Amino acid sequence: MRRRHLSAALAVLSASALAWSLPAQAAPAAVGQPAPAFSLKDTTGRLVQLADFAGKTVVLEWTNPGCPFVRKHYSSGNLPAQQKAAGSAGVVWLTVNSTSPRHGDYLAPAALGDWMKAQGAAPAATLLDPDGVVGRAYGAKTTPQMVVIQPQGRLAYVGAVDSIASAKPEDIARATQHVPAVLAQLAEGRPASPAVTVPYGCSVKYD
Amino acid sequence: MPAVLRRGLAAAALLASAVAAQAAGPLAQALGTAPAPAAAATAVVETPQVRAELVAHAPEGLGPGKPMWLGLKLQHEPHWHTYWKNPGDSGLPTRLEWTLPPGVQLGPIDWPVPHRLRVGPLVNYGFEGELLLPVALSLPADWRGDSLEVSLRADWLVCKEECIPDGGDFRIRLPAQGALAAHRAAFEASWAQRPQAVAGAQAEARHQPAPAGAASAPVDDGHGPRAAPLDPGALALRIEGLPAGLQGRPIELYSEVEALIDHAAEPALRWTGGVLEAAWPLSPQRSSSPASLPVVLRVLPGPAGGEALLLRVEAALSGLPPVEAVELPPALQAALAGGAATPPPAEPVALSLALLLGALLGGAILNLMPCVFPVLSLKALALAQHGEDRRALVGGGLAYTAGVILSFLLLAGALLALRAAGEQLGWGFQLQSPAFIAGMAVLFTLIGLNLAGVFEIGGLLPAGLGGLRARHPRVDDALSGVLAVAVASPCTAPFMGAALGAAVALPTAQALLVFAMLGLGMALPYLLLSALPGLAKRLPRPGLWMVRFKVLMAFPMFATVVWLGWVLGLQTGVEGLVGLLGVLLALAFAAWAWATPWAGGLGRTVWRGLGLLLLAASLGWAWPGWQAGAGQGAALTAAAQPAVSADWQPWSAEKVVAARAAGQPVFVDFTAAWCVTCQYNKRTVLADAEVLAAMDGKRVLKLRADWTMRDAAITAELGRLGRSGVPVYVFFPGRAEAQPQLLSELPSREEVLQAVAAL
Repeated sequence: MRRRHLSAALAVLSASALAWSLPAQAAPAAVGQPAPAFSLKDTTGRLVQLADFAGKTVVLEWTNPGCPFVRKHYSSGNLPAQQKAAGSAGVVWLTVNSTSPRHGDYLAPAALGDWMKAQGAAPAATLLDPDGVVGRAYGAKTTPQMVVIQPQGRLAYVGAVDSIASAKPEDIARATQHVPAVLAQLAEGRPASPAVTVPYGCSVKYD
Repeated sequence: MPAVLRRGLAAAALLASAVAAQAAGPLAQALGTAPAPAAAATAVVETPQVRAELVAHAPEGLGPGKPMWLGLKLQHEPHWHTYWKNPGDSGLPTRLEWTLPPGVQLGPIDWPVPHRLRVGPLVNYGFEGELLLPVALSLPADWRGDSLEVSLRADWLVCKEECIPDGGDFRIRLPAQGALAAHRAAFEASWAQRPQAVAGAQAEARHQPAPAGAASAPVDDGHGPRAAPLDPGALALRIEGLPAGLQGRPIELYSEVEALIDHAAEPALRWTGGVLEAAWPLSPQRSSSPASLPVVLRVLPGPAGGEALLLRVEAALSGLPPVEAVELPPALQAALAGGAATPPPAEPVALSLALLLGALLGGAILNLMPCVFPVLSLKALALAQHGEDRRALVGGGLAYTAGVILSFLLLAGALLALRAAGEQLGWGFQLQSPAFIAGMAVLFTLIGLNLAGVFEIGGLLPAGLGGLRARHPRVDDALSGVLAVAVASPCTAPFMGAALGAAVALPTAQALLVFAMLGLGMALPYLLLSALPGLAKRLPRPGLWMVRFKVLMAFPMFATVVWLGWVLGLQTGVEGLVGLLGVLLALAFAAWAWATPWAGGLGRTVWRGLGLLLLAASLGWAWPGWQAGAGQGAALTAAAQPAVSADWQPWSAEKVVAARAAGQPVFVDFTAAWCVTCQYNKRTVLADAEVLAAMDGKRVLKLRADWTMRDAAITAELGRLGRSGVPVYVFFPGRAEAQPQLLSELPSREEVLQAVAAL
């Protein structure tokens, strides 16, 4: 009896010791910190590096055409319109798909490119992150999820597309669209507010 | 058996079974065994992933003070799940929107403790299998009824690997008699999964910053070198007063707060002298810094056994740095500040002769406003009546002037005082009150009835008061001045907008002086007419035309009442408007009953009493409608204003910012139902086909800011533009750094077209 207690206590202690040391694992980047660098291929096979856009404002958008929340913002025209507006304002918009090839939602690069074209989307590039490394580095949890990187290369905004967490397209008109608001604030020399929101949508389909 | 007989028997059997079913229902209910008699088709919604049912539990029947619950029962297909109130890394909590008879109260969802659902590197909190979300129900003490109808709109996100946003509309009618206990087992199973507060437990959580240097070394993972992200640290959670038997058992922690904890990271637990300590990693993308953190604990059976426990403690949270926006480097900030598109600051104003003269002129122009016209016509009649009596004329003019100036000072003083007290008000604020609008409508109806000859004021007033009026005609003149200002205020904004915006920036005494000059300006034409005999002589002689003119003037008065009714209707809905019409009808009747010279004393008393009674009753009936409408006015006006069409969208500051960021210019029409100039502009220049086409050509986003009811955001935006009342028309160019361009208050078509061309 006593021995059982002892072994249980030992097990708990060793587990605890292990757990206390756990937070050392790499955590995703937070607002105010340097944007993790990356180089990914886009749907046409071109290599795109974050470093290519030094000095520019960059928007990262996590996507997955299989997710109803992503479809809400594409079929309504909301995200394509934001992408066009950002492009004409000199902002670089990169759409990233971190869906694992092992998942049912995975689309081959050409199919993803076709889907984006069919939606009238206009990002500077649609990037593939099949092993999810970039998604994890940025802490992307949902699709859609947005990141804004200010020209000095630090994260200015991380979070949701807009302020109403729902899958209903009719909520778009009532919601605050966070990225255009953040871009406007940055353009006026003000810090982004809110800088962090709770993203909503489907989980990113990592491995 | 003949066919006829067979058919007759079959019909009888059908009838009998129907009767039996009718009788059996209540009996079974009374015994508490009925299978939810209300289970109509709408109580259940089935999708390929979920079977959802609206259920009730009331073991003692329905009644005030009795234990009663409603619940949404979700049966998930295998491997599908829905979410807890904090869904974790993704997902959405199930939302319930109830529709119940008035007075019936519902508690919050009594969430059972969720399970951790791992999705790759992410963790969600949710439920699989069978789930019931219970909500406690209470009926008002005076509730009587034989049934209760409940409607529910439920929305849930159901996920396996893929996610499906779904939901349903439910409706059940619960009989009041008899117990509702068919779903007892489901409710009890849900309650068994509810976390229990621990008596005497104390919890606190402190932020532990990450050790220095955690983010120093850059890493290269094959995708190019990148900075190692900063570890945001962890919460050091301490829970005292937990039962001693829990030591050594595995414990899962759940945060009820969303986006605070790193859901995927396992908290490290240890016991120190009977105190449970946990290092709980924070989310690097934390979006809030709450002061307290409700924590749910799932205590699993340990190596030594023991039953699973579900506990809840509320930890005081300290040391958490606020979630801050990114600081821009100072050099960049300074560079950007140069071209920043901050709205034009209200320029410092000094009291100058020009300002005073401008106020005088502005006041004089007010007399041309349609709102003031009916009152002016009254004054013209008075002038003609006084005829040759110079002394009476001058005295009347002075009294009228005093009345006008005093009302301006009172209105301005109230505005300044309320502003100093922190109220968000602008010129015309009194018109944002439905009760004020109704009062004005009553006053105008009385004046109109008087002009139309339904009654004479002298005949109506008690002898004492009538005598007073005859003895002090100056009081009458002064009151008509007050009336002129009250009537004019909806029209004053266009000419006073800018001046008032500036005046409120002045020290109080000087600001009041400006308002006094405005009043003097408004009274000036009449004062001159009464003081200068040459001018007065040019007025037509008294005669029969005066009687005709007087009756004719009743119609502008009634037209004003129609307009006020429209404003009130927008503010309070059709209930408030019908209430007003009822009051006006009773008022007309009372005026007639009082003014008619009755032969008999008894008849007179009866008719007059009836008039007063009707008036009192109609007021009592209408008043709540005017009160209730005040709160929901904003939504009502947005919906009811014909102005808000597909072409025009309701204004919000965010929309302006977002559109400009996207390079789209914005036009904002600041308007109010009670602002006559606004209505005129809306139907002319702003509805002009060429103007609209020009705006569409430049992709201008057209927004309408409706100030009919009080709206702090609109008042603040007017302040930023240096104005204090409507109308205001402003173009925001599509470049965020460009200055907004204000138009005049009565813009011409050409002015708007030019402004569009300049965008």
